[in-house]
This record gives sequence, structure tokens and C-alpha cells, in this order.
Amino acid sequence: MMQMLAAGGLEPLTDGRRGADASNPRGYFEWEKVKTLPQQPNCIAEAEGKAVKVISSLLPSLPAAFHYKVIFLERSLTEVVASQACMIQKLGAQASALAPEAMERALHAHLKQLKAALRSRREMSILWVEHQDVLRDPQRVCEGLQSFLAVALNLPAMIAQVDPSLYRQREANLLPNNRELDVSL
Amino acid sequence: MQPHTRKVLLIGWDAADWKIATPLMDQGLMPCLNDFVNCGVMGNLATLQPVLSPMLWNSIATGKHADKHGIHGFIEPDPNSGGVRPVTSTSRRVKAIWNILTQKGFKTHVLGWFAGHPAEPINGVCVSDLYPIATAPPDQPWPLPDGAVHPESLRDPLSELRMHPAEVDASMVFPFIPKLQKVDQKKDHNLSAFVKTLSENVSIHNAATWILETQPWDFMAVYYNGIDHFCHAFMHFHPPRLQCIPEDLFELYKDVVTGAYRFHDMLLARLLYLAGRDTTVILCSDHGFHSDHLRPLGIPNEPAGPAVQHRRFGVIAMAGNHIKKDERIYGATLLDVTPTILTLFGLPIGEDMDGRVLVEAFDEAPQIERIPSWEQEPGECGMHPADLRMDPDSANAVLQQFAALGYIGPTDDQKKSVEIALREAKYNLARVYMDKRRPLQALPMFEDLYKQQPEQARFAQHLAQCYLALRRIEDAKRVLTELVNRPPAPKKRKQETEAAGAAPGSQELSPAGSGPSVSGAETAAGTNRPWADWLMGVIKFEEGDMEGALELLLRAEHAQRRMPDLHLRIGQAYLRLRRLEDAERAFHEALEIDADSAEGHLGLACVMLRKRQDDRAVEEALAAVSLQHFLPMGHFYLGVALARLAHFRRATLAFETAIAMAPGFLVAHRFLVAVNRRPGGDLAKAIQHKKWIGDFIRRRREALNK
Repeated sequence: MMQMLAAGGLEPLTDGRRGADASNPRGYFEWEKVKTLPQQPNCIAEAEGKAVKVISSLLPSLPAAFHYKVIFLERSLTEVVASQACMIQKLGAQASALAPEAMERALHAHLKQLKAALRSRREMSILWVEHQDVLRDPQRVCEGLQSFLAVALNLPAMIAQVDPSLYRQREANLLPNNRELDVSL
Repeated sequence: MQPHTRKVLLIGWDAADWKIATPLMDQGLMPCLNDFVNCGVMGNLATLQPVLSPMLWNSIATGKHADKHGIHGFIEPDPNSGGVRPVTSTSRRVKAIWNILTQKGFKTHVLGWFAGHPAEPINGVCVSDLYPIATAPPDQPWPLPDGAVHPESLRDPLSELRMHPAEVDASMVFPFIPKLQKVDQKKDHNLSAFVKTLSENVSIHNAATWILETQPWDFMAVYYNGIDHFCHAFMHFHPPRLQCIPEDLFELYKDVVTGAYRFHDMLLARLLYLAGRDTTVILCSDHGFHSDHLRPLGIPNEPAGPAVQHRRFGVIAMAGNHIKKDERIYGATLLDVTPTILTLFGLPIGEDMDGRVLVEAFDEAPQIERIPSWEQEPGECGMHPADLRMDPDSANAVLQQFAALGYIGPTDDQKKSVEIALREAKYNLARVYMDKRRPLQALPMFEDLYKQQPEQARFAQHLAQCYLALRRIEDAKRVLTELVNRPPAPKKRKQETEAAGAAPGSQELSPAGSGPSVSGAETAAGTNRPWADWLMGVIKFEEGDMEGALELLLRAEHAQRRMPDLHLRIGQAYLRLRRLEDAERAFHEALEIDADSAEGHLGLACVMLRKRQDDRAVEEALAAVSLQHFLPMGHFYLGVALARLAHFRRATLAFETAIAMAPGFLVAHRFLVAVNRRPGGDLAKAIQHKKWIGDFIRRRREALNK
């Protein structure tokens, strides 16, 4: 999404510290300072007029003093859990103590709590974007983004960024006994 | 089942204590409370262990111990900030009374309840405990936190009713601190704590009275933290002056606690007026607060250390139609509140509830129905949806996952706070199991805590007590020996204590509680260590070496006389040695320090039985079970004394109560056989208990053979 927005003409706020890796061969658009939002919420002032990547859990820490256009990218939590487990393995970090199903439930609850908390944030307008839709119909998603952001974007360049080959943790492949299911169908 | 009331108003006064309120009522300084108890019933409300308010208020609201309701402390991991947050309503696993009443269609309101955020979608108004807290200076906007009010449509009118601490002016402070002008606010920050507590309680009260005036209702629960907060901040200034308190400060603040009680009396007057005469009102507190010579001289420098100031008895008072007038009730625990409210509304109680109905408060014995559990009853109950609820361990797992991915960067302090929150939750849950007499469930938790932090004396002590409960004397001895021989650890950082919910500014002083407690990092190294003698004396006692135990316990007594539990143990050792006069003296000493010691009266009941002074044994046993209803041995001694006095029917009742509490109480079964074999007894009962004894002995023999 960050690549799409950058290609569309929005300036990304990134520190360029995290380079490309096997999980994300095109590189990351991280801004380390965003992690200090709970302690220094006003650091977000640096992002004014730009696009910045913020993990869901940090959204409540955004100060009310600014107006935000939030593009909330949603993905199947089964895929999210599998994808995160792969990344954690590659990073050599400690894996979660929870089983994937339990982690999925916990993330689901986290998202529910978060959405409830964001409902009353009048300074935020939120566009919910399905990850699947980006892959299936990038044209429509990009038009939606342009309309939501109310700025002229380079739509062909944005659409060109969508690379289905990077979509590795497909839910269909993660279902147990997937092959048997196919046969029976 | 017929309802006994149309409406119930449940008022929570955190830390309210008859020891303080009764003299004020007698002096005419709490006229409303005085009238209220005169037209209803009053009694002590025994608390639970650990004496931590979030756990206790949720036990009051659910009728269940904390292992069932899931609130295990003050704070929990917060996946949103990477740190911790006050414990939330999404962590409670079971239905509270307002959920059950919502499910049954009653119009139900709840305000300010501990662990009440985010507000639950009940059939009425829910105002969370974050509602009254000022989050910005007075010159800046002060929006309500998200989720502080349900329904959302009442957010604006309720928001307007809040009082900011800066709105508290001198005229409001004078009744509490008449010499306000002498306070040097540059050096002395007591006033800021005072105005914060006052404004928060005014905010909750404003919301409560507004709801009573404008909304239809069947049930309301409103919680005030004022007495607890005023007492934590100002009890050490309460008369009589403690030696360590300078006279000038004493003169400034000596009236605050009294003022707090009088202030609450005025709030009560308004609530009762608005509630109307057709309402049954229940006033209760989760624990008491030491206000006399038992005030601790220091606060242990450990998470939730200020809980050492809490007394084991809170208050309960009830008034309304079908409630007795001007009477006392005995043996109530805070688990009994919810079953009693259900009965008032004519609803069944859940068999999975740990409390009982306070039948003795009703003018006629109420009909009580039971269902297996309210948790399985279908219907909308106004709890947060299941997929919104997240237990602290799952919250922590999400947090760790985000951190491992580099999405969030919790600071070292935040990581430490999360670690402390999880550790304290485990410690608190283990103590709940011990309180429920389930040492086997507590053991792995205490072992893990001790393994992680052997320098924490409290972990060692609780592990040793757990081993003792399981009759693993050698293990207990090993742990205590390690504790006694360990060199002093460096003092902990202040921040660690505060992060886990302790009041800011906790001080580390010498141990002064009623139990053999030492502060977190303290060890026995040094020469003056009465608690070490005490602990090793307990080991000797458990090993059966009464002479050795007495030598150590008396040495501890010589160094520190203010510990009632020490005198209890000395009394028990004397009892084993059949030194009845010495035992009696020791139990009296324990009761001189703490007149509300059920164990002290229990010890005296035993002494009196052995001295064949059965009338006095009855008195002491009754005093013991009045203070602590769940005391099987107290009911047993009562039964023995009554049987000797030929009150066989009452004796039978006492033995049966003991057996209901401790089903394997072999001697009580034997007494029931003997009592019921007598002319006029119930022969069928005698046969039934004789059969039980036979089965029990056979099972035990088989187990031994195996």
C-alpha cells in the first residue's frame, strides 16, 4: 500500500533504515519514530501532508490535535498470523507463546476493541480496504483511495505496484486438509 | 419465586469501616447512615485474600472468587500502548449482577465500578471508572475517554456533569482541612491528592443522581472510591497522633478522614432521597481500613504494598421492605451480595456462585431457587461480545508479537511494567487459590514465582505456607532457611512499585502488618529479625516440636509485640502442650491487639472447652463464627459446647454447618452420631453419619494399602 501511495504521488514519511529482505523484497516504508507515539504523540506532526505507516495498535495514540485520513488495510487474520509467524522466524525473534488459532482469536479481539475505540475519534476519517480487493481489483481500490484522499493520484502507476507474486500466505493454502477439500469439491 | 422488592440500589464505599463510622454515628456526625442502619440490618462484611479492590469489587458484583471472574489485579498488558493499562471490563469472564438483571429485562445502571471500562452495553446506563478522571489541565479540553459511557447518546449530558479538580475551591476544602491557609503548597502536595479524590467522587455522584432523576430504573450500582483514597492519603494524620507524624502536619490534616465519612453521609442522604421508600438499599465496602493502633508504620515497598493498611472486615448495611429492622447480621462475606440481590428480585442463584443468600437479613426466610449457572442461560445480557473480550495473557501475546515484528517499540520501562503486571496477576491468583484452600493449584504458581525471584521474601513466604498446607514440611523448611540465610538484596526502584498499582510515594519501612510479612526485597540478614524467628517457629510447630517452636516464637514476641498472628501461634503451641493458662493469656493478647480476630476467639473457645467452661466456650465460638462465618472448627467447637450443655438440636446444626464447610470433618461426623443416638435424636441421621464414617475409614485403609 505504501508503494502504491508513493507511486500515486503521495510523499511517504520513512527513515529508510529497514532495507529489503526476503519477506519484502521491495523494501519497507518504515518510520521508526512512529513507535514512540505512546510516549511522544506529537511526533506525528512530522507526518503532516505525508503518508506514514502505523500499526493498528498505535492508532489510539495519535493525538486529537490533527486531522487524519486513515487507510486501514484489512486482511484475513489466518493469513496475518501465518505471515507474521514466517516473518518472526526469518527475523530470528521469539515466536508467540500462543497457538495460531489462539493468536487469531486474540488479534480478532484486538481489532474489535480497536474499532470500537476508533468509532468516536471524530478527527479521523477511515477507509477500510480489503487486502484481497487490492489484488483482485486494484483499479477500483485506487479510485476509491483517490476519492477518499481527495487528491489527484497517478492511478496507472499505483496499479502497477500491485504484485500478486508477493501474496504468499493465502488463506486457501493455509486451510487444514486443503487438498482433501479440493478433491471432495 | 416472588420478588421481595421492586428496586435495589447498591452503594459501594471502598474501604468503609464500622470502626470509624460507628463512633461518628454515635456522635451524631453521620445522621443519615445512623438512620439507615436503624431501619435495617448492619454487619461486618468479611473480605477475601488478597485484599485488592479490583478483585474484590468484581467478587461483590459476581458472587464469585477471582479465579472465576478473571480480574487478577490493578493492571494488565495493553497491546495498544505496548505497556500496561488499568484492568478492563473486557477481562472479566463471567456475568456481573447488572448483566444477569439486563438478561431478565430489568432497567439496570452501573457507575464507576472497578474494572468497569469500557462501559458495557447493558439495559440502562453504564458509566465506566475512567469517566471521572481528569486527563488535561483545566484550560484545555477534557474529552471523555472512548467507551466511558453507554449508551453513546448520553455521552454529552453526562460529560457536562464532571467536576475538574481545578474547580474545587477553598470553601469545599475547609470542612475537611479547616487550617487550609497554613498548607505550604510548594512543599506539601497533600492537597492535590485531596482535590483529585474529592472531584472524582463528586463527578460520580453527579452522574448517579442525574440518572436517578431522569432515567427509569430497577437496579443501580454506584461505586465511590473516596473513603479508600482519602484514607490512604490521610489516615496517618487521623487521631490519635502517630509518633512519627509531626504535630504541625497532624493539626493540618487530622480532620480529613472524619470529613470524608461525613461527606459520604451527605451523598448517601441524597441517594436515599432519590431512591425512594420502595427501594431496597444495600451499602457495602470491600474491606476496612486500619484506623487505630493497628495502623502500619510503613508501607511495604512492593506492588500493591498499601494494601497492608486494609482491614479484613468491610461493612454491609441493608434496608427496605422485607428486611429486618435495627438488627445485626453476622458472618457475611462480600461473595454474598450478588446472591442476596438475586433473591431480592425473585431470581435463582447460580450454583457456581461462591456466596450465599443473607437469609438472616430478611424478616421472613426467603424462598431460594438455584440454577446450575447463569453463564449458560441464553439471552442478551449486556456483556461485551465474546470476540471483544481478551484475557491479559492473550493481550500480552499480541503485544509480544507486534514487538517481535518490530511494529511497536515498547520502552524498557514498558516491558518491565508488562512483566510486573503478569507476575503480580499470577501471584494474586495463587493467593486466591490459597484463600480457597486449594494449595495444590497455587503450588506451581508460587514455585514459578520463587524460581524467578527468590529474593522476593513474599514469594518465599507464600511458597512455604503452601508447602505447609500440603504437609510438605521439609520443603517449607528449605525455602524458609534459604530466605533467612539470604543476604539483603538491593532496594527496588520506586518506579517498579508504582507501575504495578501501588500508590505513588510508597515507603519502605519495617514490617508492621499483622502477619509475618516483610517487604519485597527485605531479607532476614541482621540481628533484629523477629519475623525470621516467627517463621522458623512455625516450622518447628508443624514438625511437632512445641518446645522448640515456643522458644523461637517467644523470642520473636520479645522483639515485636504488635503482631496478633504471632500471639495466636504461641497460644496454639501452649494448647498443644496443655498449658491452658498460658494459652488463654496468649489468645487474649492477640485479641487486645485486634479485637476482631476470629482465630483469637477460636483459640479461647478451645481453651474453654478444655477447661470445661462450656458457657464461655459457646460465647467464644459464637464470636469467632460471627466474625468469620467460614470457620469449620468454630462451628465444631460451638457444637461440642452446646452438646455438653444439652442443647442437642442447636449442637446438631453447628456440627452440620461444620461438615457443610469441610465435608471430610471426621470428628464432627462422630459427634453427630453420638448426639443423634440420644433419646429424642434423629436415628436416621445417626445411621447416615455412621455409614459415612465406615466408608471413610474403609477408603482410607484401601488408600494406605495401595
